[in-house]
Amino acid sequence: MALLRDALVSAAAAERGRPEPIPTQPRSSAGAEQGELLWAYCVLRASDRQPHGVAGVGGAGGVEPVQAAGLVALVGRVPRAEFGAESLQRNLNDLGWLERVARAHEAVLEQALAMSTIVPMRMCTLYENADSVRRMLEREQEALTRALETLDGRREWGVKMLADPARLMESARRKSADASALEPELETRGEGGAYLLRRRLERELRELADSLAAEVAAQVHARLQDWAIDAVTRPAQNRELSGHEGEMLLNGAYLVDADRIDELRRLIGDLEVQHRELGVRIELTGPWPPYNFVPGPAATGV
Amino acid sequence: MSLEERNLPTQSYGYGGLPGRPQSQESLADILERVLDKGIVIAGDIQINLLDIELLTIKLRLLIASVDRAKEMGINWWESDASLQSLGPDTGDHQGELQQENRELRERLERIERQLASGNDSAKQSDASRSSGD
Repeated sequence: MALLRDALVSAAAAERGRPEPIPTQPRSSAGAEQGELLWAYCVLRASDRQPHGVAGVGGAGGVEPVQAAGLVALVGRVPRAEFGAESLQRNLNDLGWLERVARAHEAVLEQALAMSTIVPMRMCTLYENADSVRRMLEREQEALTRALETLDGRREWGVKMLADPARLMESARRKSADASALEPELETRGEGGAYLLRRRLERELRELADSLAAEVAAQVHARLQDWAIDAVTRPAQNRELSGHEGEMLLNGAYLVDADRIDELRRLIGDLEVQHRELGVRIELTGPWPPYNFVPGPAATGV
Repeated sequence: MSLEERNLPTQSYGYGGLPGRPQSQESLADILERVLDKGIVIAGDIQINLLDIELLTIKLRLLIASVDRAKEMGINWWESDASLQSLGPDTGDHQGELQQENRELRERLERIERQLASGNDSAKQSDASRSSGD
């Protein structure tokens, strides 16, 4: 992550050009926070189909193509007052604003994804004008083309595995030698001794349940990884944000041939049955824009 | 449970508007962990470092901070919720104190258990007497 951060910063620093304003949208010279910026959503091949009439991050303005080097960047106009460096920093810290913008970004990408192979941009990639976007396309042509080739005909799917904590504990209890040895002993102890024993037992069972969970998560991920073209795991999501029930044992993303999605569904069904004992539920989400599988340009090393 | 019964959250494209957070949409967590953290990184004209955003909410702080932990795949994922809660300004000091106290009590209990288990609860210098006395 530190690597990525450094790369981001140095890449951004290298980019401090002063591009000309685009003729169609002259920028007011009255102040830095007036006028518009271009928000970049994704890149696709100029020959591919593009969505039209999509409302983007900036609302009514919609999404338009900027073409260069055989590629198209889908961009949308956004007010500088809201998306200029200072305001952006402030707005990003507002969860409501962030959600609205993140969902709008995602919505544009999903519409583009339904028609074409796309390279999704990380959110908040902003340009002064169309010329600047064109220069980016020319400069990054090789990396972008390579990414498009990697992603052709493939889709990112998210897989989350959730387990019922009570069932996990039950399984641990069944598997625990200590539990079966100690439980009868509880009867023979006095109140204090029984309490301590119970505490110890509980702790051991929890540890066992944790390792059972890790084992199952690793198994499921390994099966999916073998099967998919590429795979990554992400940290378990925060419950407050995701609202999930149970323990999130696996949060993975898998790059899958678009025509093998039925197989993926079957595989997930099988895995769910296989681990039913733990009250496991496997959630499939997608297809996602292939955020997790964009090969990074060598210079920015994602 | 059959596959048909299972809810596959994101099969649909093209919701146009931006309503609040209906159940049928992708979860915000799913979206944020992707759009904030992933996707191709190409420098734009506006210099912003998403990793340095001081997100107000603990949830987001976690989301971003947790990227490092992703490498530790397979271990302690399920603990992230609890550990997160102790980080947040809004869950605050009270919770932190409780956890601290809980931890101390557990450690103390373990010491006592060990002594009980070894049947040696008599003369040995115990941690308890050391910490209370002197």
